[in-house]
Order: sequence, then C-alpha cells, then structure tokens
Amino acid sequence: MKRTGKTMEKLSYVGKSMPRKDAEIKAVGSARYAADRDFAGMLYAAAVRSPRPHIRIDGISDAKARKVPGYAALVTYKDIKGVNKWPVVMQDYPFLPEKEARFAGETVALVVAASEKAARRAAALVELRYKELPFVEDPLEALEKGAPRVHGEDNVFSTYRIKNGSVDEAFRKAAYTVEGEFSTNYQVHAYLETQGAIAVPEPGGGMTVHSTTQCPFYVIDAVAAALAQPYHKIKILQTVTGGGFGGKEDVPALVASHAAICAAKVGRPVRLIYGRKEDFQSMSKRHPGWARVAYAADKSGRITACRVKYVLDGGAYSTLSPIVLWRGTVHAAGPYKVPNVDIRTYAAATNKVPCGAFRGFGQPQISFAQESLIDELAAKVGMDPLKFRLKNLLKPGDRTVTGQKLNSSCGLAEIAQAVRRRSGWDRKWKSPSVKGDVASGIGFSVAYYGVGLGAGGRYLDRAGAMVNIYKDSSVGVSVGNTEMGQGALTVLAQIAAETLNAPYAAVRVEEVDSSKVPDSGPTVASRTTLMSGNAIIDAATPLRERIFKTAYDLLLAEGADASLPMVAANGVFRMGAKSVEFKKVVSGCWSRRLKMCEQGWYTAPRTSFKNEDGQGDAYVIYSYSADAAEVDVDLRTGVLKVRKVWAAYDVGRIVNPGLAMGQAQGGILQGMSWAVYENLVYKNGIMVNPNFTDYVIATTADKPEYDITFIEKPYAEGPYKAKGMGEVPLIGVAPAVANAVRNACGARVRSVPLLPEKIWKEIRKG
Amino acid sequence: MPDIIVKPASLKELWKTLPGLPAARRYLAGGTDIVTADNAGVERSECWVDISDLPELAGVEETAAALVIGAGEKISGLERSAAVRRWCPVLVSAIPHFASPSLRNMATLGGNAGNASPCADGVCALVAEGAFVRLELKGKRRRLPLKDLFTGPKRTALRRDELITAFEVPKRRHAGAYLKLGPRSYFGISKAAVAVAAELERGAVKSASVALGSVAPVPLYAAGVSAWLAGRPLSAGTAVEAAARVKAEVSPITDARSEAEYRREMCGVLLERALLSLAR
Repeated sequence: MKRTGKTMEKLSYVGKSMPRKDAEIKAVGSARYAADRDFAGMLYAAAVRSPRPHIRIDGISDAKARKVPGYAALVTYKDIKGVNKWPVVMQDYPFLPEKEARFAGETVALVVAASEKAARRAAALVELRYKELPFVEDPLEALEKGAPRVHGEDNVFSTYRIKNGSVDEAFRKAAYTVEGEFSTNYQVHAYLETQGAIAVPEPGGGMTVHSTTQCPFYVIDAVAAALAQPYHKIKILQTVTGGGFGGKEDVPALVASHAAICAAKVGRPVRLIYGRKEDFQSMSKRHPGWARVAYAADKSGRITACRVKYVLDGGAYSTLSPIVLWRGTVHAAGPYKVPNVDIRTYAAATNKVPCGAFRGFGQPQISFAQESLIDELAAKVGMDPLKFRLKNLLKPGDRTVTGQKLNSSCGLAEIAQAVRRRSGWDRKWKSPSVKGDVASGIGFSVAYYGVGLGAGGRYLDRAGAMVNIYKDSSVGVSVGNTEMGQGALTVLAQIAAETLNAPYAAVRVEEVDSSKVPDSGPTVASRTTLMSGNAIIDAATPLRERIFKTAYDLLLAEGADASLPMVAANGVFRMGAKSVEFKKVVSGCWSRRLKMCEQGWYTAPRTSFKNEDGQGDAYVIYSYSADAAEVDVDLRTGVLKVRKVWAAYDVGRIVNPGLAMGQAQGGILQGMSWAVYENLVYKNGIMVNPNFTDYVIATTADKPEYDITFIEKPYAEGPYKAKGMGEVPLIGVAPAVANAVRNACGARVRSVPLLPEKIWKEIRKG
Repeated sequence: MPDIIVKPASLKELWKTLPGLPAARRYLAGGTDIVTADNAGVERSECWVDISDLPELAGVEETAAALVIGAGEKISGLERSAAVRRWCPVLVSAIPHFASPSLRNMATLGGNAGNASPCADGVCALVAEGAFVRLELKGKRRRLPLKDLFTGPKRTALRRDELITAFEVPKRRHAGAYLKLGPRSYFGISKAAVAVAAELERGAVKSASVALGSVAPVPLYAAGVSAWLAGRPLSAGTAVEAAARVKAEVSPITDARSEAEYRREMCGVLLERALLSLAR
C-alpha cells in the first residue's frame, strides 16, 4: 500500500494501524451474536411464508400445527397493537400482510414454540388458503400500461429527474455520440450471520430487543410502532453483528418487530433467527438495474451531453428504493464535467423480494453502464480511454451535474494518474496479448461517491456520542452508529483516544444501546467515521480542556518549568523533564469533582439540492476512486479471471491504514464477485437458487492481486480530516473488468455478471 | 435433521438394526449432500443411518487385478494414497476439483455415487477409470460396472437398503485427465466436466474411456467417442474430431447453472484439451 499527502500535525493514534478492538473476541469465538444469547423462559419463532409471487390470503389455520409438541401460538396481523405499517421511507410494507402477499417468501404469519425445531416444524404445518393473483417479474414490463399492479397506479415507487442545459441540441451538434443499454443482476449480501433478533418483554408493556443490525434507530422506530408503545419503553441493544454490507440497514427492523409482536403476544422472550434460505428469499438485496445511457462529445473529445434512463427493480415494497435511486440519479453521469444532462430515473415495483441498501447504494449499477459507455465514446473519438477521462474529469472548482462546485478535497485526476503510472497502463492498453487460447487485457474506470446521506436524507444526517471517563481512567464511549465488521469500534476509539490523549487501550467503544445516545441516523453511506467521529470530538472537547488544565496544574505542582510548552502524546503529558500519565490526571480531575462525562452532537452541513429541478449541492463532500483491472479471458470457454486490480482512492485522511486496506481489498473483491460470479436467478416469480451451493461468490482462490494507493486530500470538516470510504472501493470494479474484457478479446458484455456464457457468445459473434 | 440417527458399529450390526428403523430412512456417509439438503428443507427422512465409520467400508486395498477403494474412505484419504496415485490418474486429476478441502475431509466416493448426481466429480472420474461397484444387502453381494449404477438424475439401480461397499478399479497402466468448468476457480458444481482415461502405445491410443459430468441425466459414459478413439494417433487432429463427436453424445440442459448450448460446446473444448494434455 502506498499513501501520499502531507501530515501536518503529530498524532498519537490517528493515522496508525491500531489493532482492532474486536479482534480477540472474534478470533477466539467468544463474541456473542444474536443466536448465541439465551434468556430464561425463552421461546422460538419461525415464519410462515408465501409460496407464490402474488396471492390473496383467504385464511390461515394452525389446526395441524397445534399438534406439534411445544407449540405455543400463531401470530398474525391481528396481533399487532399498533398501526400495521412498517415505518421506513414510505409506508407501504405492512408488518404482516392482511389481504395480499406480494412476493414469494414474504412473511404472512409466525408461529411460536418451545424450540427452534418445533417452531419450524409447526410453521411448515400452518395451512395457508390463498388465491393466486397475476404477478409481474420484469421491472420494464412493470412500468408498462396494463401490467399487474404491485404499487399505486403505475408501479413506480419513486422517480427523479436532473435536467441541465440543452441536451437535444448538444446531441444534434455533437461530433461523436454513443448509446447503449446495460443491465445488472441482484447481489446478495452474503453476510456470515443471518438476520435475527430476540425480544424480551419488560414489565409495564416495554420491550428490550437484541438485534443484529446496522441501524438500531430504525429498529426502535419499527418496534415502537408495531407495539404502540412510547420510545422510552423500548430499548434496542445491538448484538455483535456478523456482517452487514447494507443488508442490515432496513430489514432488521422488520425481523425485530416480528420477534417483538410474538413476545408481546406470549409474554415471554422470543428468539427469531433466520435460516439461510429464508434470508435469501425475503431479505434485502442489491437492486437489479437497467439503464439506457447516451453521451455526446465535441471534435476535441470533450463530453458535451449525457442522457440517462435508469430503472431499478425495487421488488414488492419500496423499503429504501427511493433513496437508493436518488443516490444513483445524482451520480448517473459519472465524475465528469458535463454541461448538458437529462437524467430520468425510476424505481419500479415487481412481485419479487424488496431490494434495498448494498455497499454502493444504487451507484454500482449505473457506474457499470456509464463507465462501459465512456470507453466506447473514447473509442469513437479515437482516444486512449484513460486519457479521454483525464480530459473530462471533475477537478476542484468544477461543477457536478447538479451544479455543485467541488472544493479542494478532490484528488480525482491524481488518483487516475497514480493508477495509470502504477499499472503500466500506457503500454498495456495499447498491446493486449494472446497466448494460446488466453487473451489478456486491461480496463479502467473512475467513480465518485457522495459521503453521508446528503440531501436525500438531510433530516437524518446527525449523530450523537457520549464519552464517559470513569474514576479508574478507563473511558467508555457510546455512539449511535454500529460496528458491523468494518472497524467502527476501532476507528472511533482512535478518535476518542487522540482527542483526550488517553491511552488507546483505555478506550472502549460499545455496541449501540438506543437508550444511551440520541437517534444518530443509520450506519450507512460510509458516514460513521465522519458523523460519529465528529460527535465524539464534540463530546470529548470539553473533557479534553478539563484534562489538559488538570495535567498542567499537576505538572506545575511537580515543579515543572512553566516557561516550557506542555506536550501531550500517547497518554502522557510532559513539560520539560516532568511528566504525568493520563491515569493520574483523571484521578486529579475526579478529586476536583470535575464533570467527566459529556454528550456530543454533530450535524452535517446544509445541502441545497432540490428535487424540483435536480440542482444544488447534493452531498457535503465526495470521495473518489480509480481502478484498473487486468484480466485473462479464455477465448474458447469465455472463462474470465481477474488477475490484478490497481486502485487509488481519495477518501480524505486515513484514520487507520490497516483497516482502510481491509476495506479496499474487501470492496474490490466484493465488486469483482458481483461483476463476474454472482447470479441470483428468478423463474416465474420464484427464486431458484437461494443457497450458497448455486449462488456462488468469489473465494480467496478467485482473489486478484491488489495494488492500492491512498491519496489523502484532507477534508477540513472531517474528524482529523477524514472523509468516508466503506463503499468507495466497490463501485468502479465492474466497469473496469468489463472494459478489460473488451480490451482483451473485443467482447463488449453489457450485463453483470460477466458470465463465461455471455463472453463466449460475444466472442463467437466476432 | 431427523429425530433418529443410528450408527451401527459393523455391517453385521447394520443388517440387524435396519428392520427396526422407520421406513423413511437414508444412509449418511460423509453427510456433505444430505446435510445440505436438510438445511435447504428438501430432506425429509425420519431416520439417518450413519455409516461413516463402518470398518468394512474403509481403506484402499490392492489385489492382483484391481485397486479396491472402500466406499467410506474420505476423499482426502484417497488424495494421500500412493496406490490411488499409481492406478487412478483420472481420479487423482479430479480430486482438486472435488468441492473444497474441508468437504473432502468428510465426503466419500460411496456417498458421491449413492447421491447419483450427474455432476459428481468423483463418480465421473471413476466411470472413466472403468470402475466396478461392489454392493451388499444383508450379506448378499453383487458387482456392477459403475456406469450402470445410474438410472436417472438422483436415481440408481440400488435396491432398498442396498449399500455401496467399495469400488474396484482394474489395474492397468494408463494416462488420465479430468477437466471441469465450474462457476468459479474452485469449489463449485460443474457446468460441464470431462474425464478421460487412455492406454497409450507409441503415440497412439490403444483404448480410451471418456466420461462426462453435468451434461446428461446421469454421469455419462461416452461409449461412442470412447470406441472411436481406440487405435487413433494421439494428435491434434484426433482431439478435434473427438471433440466434434462427443458433442453429439451429450444431452445438456439449460438451468440456473448454465445453458445447454454452451455446455454442449464446452464438452468438445474440454475433451480436446484433455486429450492433448495426455500427449504432453
């Protein structure tokens, strides 16, 4: 790994590869996930699911299920005390359906029993009487007139438009134009830990819910609504979360609500843990995408216009589709200066599993389309695609398609040049090789990523923190954003330790407890370091003043020379030859009866974007990526192997290089896996391969070699000048790979995944 | 998982125990298929009979004419066997394609054959090796060419409760290759696989047997192309002609894993490559 960018201040922990706070418990297996937790008198729930894509529910009977030993109860919508609408963005998804179920796998009822096995057995015996209704599987068909209705009058969950300049005129005057249709398939999060929750009833109608989740505050919204209880009677405790990738953003709230509705009915703790198959069938996925994109360029190779129609397959309920679509819309033209744009986007309703958040959040699908097409435009202009991009990339001071002026934290051209240099692009791109049946080639892509929720979620873009320094000088930090494997506990501990000058080992960041910290929004959009990091700094700053003042006094009392400056580093305060440790300073603070616990708060700066005209600042800041992929294609089988990926990122200052490297490698691998292997198949409204036997993801044997560079453009508003990075490395991988395939063998594959069958067909076409 | 799992200590005890067990019962060898099926909710037996440690099913033994591979021997055990390396070049070539190292520590060839999936890598290799299968039911034994064990997808000629005890691979000097197209670099179910065994003599094929996986309802013995290869020079021309011929012998389908046309073409490519690899 290579890092460039000047360090201005001497820091003790930030910028260093501090060991993961959760490494040991995960390595030795002592971490307690949702399924590892037990409570006295606990019962088990299992879901009864719709077998067909669209049904009218005529009746549910547990006559046979009752005979299963240990059977406790059937739970249906009638048991919901609150309003039967799960509060997400829109309110179209009932906690449990009343008259209709809209996708195969939808929970229509639950059973509760004395063991998990009994619950599953009983659920299988519950009889569902239903009539099949017409269904629609294809999102483009769903948007046609006369399609079976899934949502509203037109099956459109949401639609956006960004329009600027005169696109038609620009296309008329253009020297070069390209147009193409592209599509991408689902991606399954494939987190190791499936969804699950345990609801524990509390005296007086309250409920404590242990939930594997990225977003405890979405869970509290849902559980409180389902139970019709005030928030102060509901407590959400995030359990150690075994992977999220976006898949534990919204749907854990549904799973937890189901557990809570069951627990409220039986008056005992209820555990609901998903099996892998039902997790596949009913939980969130990356949206399949379809796009028709067109670009125009002038004689010199400057992009003059971009026209996009982008459709996401939302599935049966809207869940997060509106905001996933919004992010895709804003980034749809790519990170280029494009004076004339017309971007229209739609989230379509179909009778399939509802899609939601997945690392990249609506960007990878459209990035695959537009970055593939940029290569075709460069070919028409007769330019090297990398040089063509360099000519058109956004630079500091340029305006995005929404009219947002970029500030100095934009290293796009530099990261593109870094990848060009390190990959040997100029030589390789010009001379793809064929050895025997194997053709090798190289492809490139760039992407930008608005960090945080931006204007699409501006009312949610705030975060809280509590920093509590105990008498023994150990530090407890509570935040509202979650660890899901990405390293939040570690990075946030580094920020707290740095700000307080506490020893890193003395700081502990805990999993989220909704009663300790105010609603901090979701743990999504690569926003945790930025938002919770700043909230921690806000909480720690007054504590820091007290600690530093006390340290100063103690050093003077020890006889330090007051004319010398006090230096604080690595948990020690020094003045000349005298020094005092953090522990002693904290003890001094407590004996002075100073307040050693503070709350912090951070709100994202204002964004001015308006949906009416699609103009204004969409995000407060952007991160950037550039990728070059080198591939081998077997010309006779179409088998594709991604040999090496060079990537460079501008994600602001790096808080933990080791973890950043992990995020980069994991993002590249997950992006490549989506691009090359992952293929979820629906047939007649039924998911055909809801398992890891037939839904394959990349293994370490498929892993490309990595060459990763960080160019750290400081972001003044960020905690220690960091931006956000979790999603950035995934976005540009698919188009870089597709462009490399084209460079290697001439095959332009316009759909993800780039299966050997598709490449083989393109090669045969010649 | 069923409520009843029994684990007899010997074949004798097995035959004694069986009559008292529920009718909906299945043998459990390595468990790598049956447990996966159970997790997927498609395995509904009331009883599993665990044969994984039966001593009569273990070990690899050399007789004068054959190598006898115990049906319960773990694949990873075969990987380490010098006798298997000497007499079963196709199987040796197939083992790296067989699931993953951890599954190879559990899986057995008996289970691989009993499950009767057309994609079974171990079975496909053994069919090319010209293996026979030894069966036993309550002390009564019989022996079949392995290729005749399979009657359809997941269907075999096994009688109720009949047990696969061993495979016999005739001892003869031959070369072998196994090529597979899966969904990723390794650890996946094949879209198409080709197993070739050939006795070679001065640059020519004396005899050959070709078997294919995932391109027919059963692990397919390609009788036509196998016979055609006998007596031909082992040349690029022969490989190309054999590839054209094998495509007419397979009957692949389109499903979630791949497409019929692609699979058919790949049988040709893989066979051509496999034959050429024997020449090197």
